[in-house]
Amino acid sequence: MLNAQITAAILGVALAGAILYLVRRDHLHGPFAAWWLMVAAATLALGMFPSLVLWLGRVTGISYAPVLPIIIGLSLVLLRLLKLDVDRSRQERQLRRLTQKLAILENELAQLRDASARRPPIDPPPGRDTHRSP
Amino acid sequence: MTRLVPADCLAVIPARDEVTTVGAVVRGVRDALGCVVLVVDDASTDGTPAAARAAGAEVLSLPLGLGAWGASQAGIRYAERNGFAAVITLDADGQHQPDSLMSLFAEHERSAANVVIGTCVERLSAAKRVAWQYLRLLTGLGLRDFTSGLRLYDATAIRQLAGAEASLLDFQDVGVLMLLAKQGLRIVETPTPMCARETGHSRVFASWAVVARYMFNTTILCVSRHDLGQRRGAAAGRGVDG
Repeated sequence: MLNAQITAAILGVALAGAILYLVRRDHLHGPFAAWWLMVAAATLALGMFPSLVLWLGRVTGISYAPVLPIIIGLSLVLLRLLKLDVDRSRQERQLRRLTQKLAILENELAQLRDASARRPPIDPPPGRDTHRSP
Repeated sequence: MTRLVPADCLAVIPARDEVTTVGAVVRGVRDALGCVVLVVDDASTDGTPAAARAAGAEVLSLPLGLGAWGASQAGIRYAERNGFAAVITLDADGQHQPDSLMSLFAEHERSAANVVIGTCVERLSAAKRVAWQYLRLLTGLGLRDFTSGLRLYDATAIRQLAGAEASLLDFQDVGVLMLLAKQGLRIVETPTPMCARETGHSRVFASWAVVARYMFNTTILCVSRHDLGQRRGAAAGRGVDG
């Protein structure tokens, strides 16, 4: 039977290990890794030192202290989700503008190609083989 | 006061799967205004871009579907990049009559407003009248038709609408007008005749669920951007009595 402190320590260390592994494999972008490492550290700290939870409970006035880690966890998840949607909105804006720019540049490219195809060919320098396939 | 020459303008027609009507619309606009016509193909799958090119239009092909406003904004950004004096937008389904386009230029010359909306009041059903009344109250804009796709934007409006701030809007309606009104641009309406849609249907008024979602999203947009003082002044000089 595991002691709660050991369970929390295993969770925290496993989380930290997984994050470092993901960063190493280039699956997780730097700033995101920082956030998740913080979560791992918090899990580790709160799990290893239950007295921290009791102290936090007294400070915040939550009389049933064991519920505190759950509240903290849920709040962090909500914050993270909100941040995710903010990021998604920013990316949606960028994606839309890129899509528009791509279509505009594609149109310009086609126009330039047409214009250069219509222009009479430049006189080739003398004495060289000027045959080109169309 | 500046006078717009229709030939210096760009006609922007956002189109998604409108192959049956887009050619006639392009020809109609070219005959009526003699300007460059740009069809923005919103990821159609039915040969809309080819039909538009055959009718003499320039075509922008969006690789991803961006919706009606995203397509219109692509055209507006094209106009900004290429220095057109104004943009006139209309729908690809043939509901706007080409001979009514000149009336927008006439109204622009009369009022010198930054935006002229071609409004068709007759087409409004009872439900839409209620919805519009609600939007008038919510936005403080004294307009009669918020979703008309028939609009004339001058160079100032083009600059505002080409920017990144307008890129997250989903329809060419309340959000666009509020953005312009907030910048102090003047918006007027002029009544125009309109044919019934030949094919297709309104993207906004497709079903009750869609309408409900649209009204809810628009309400959030309006409430979150509320600053009445500035907007009242901008919408004061309207062309049609609210």
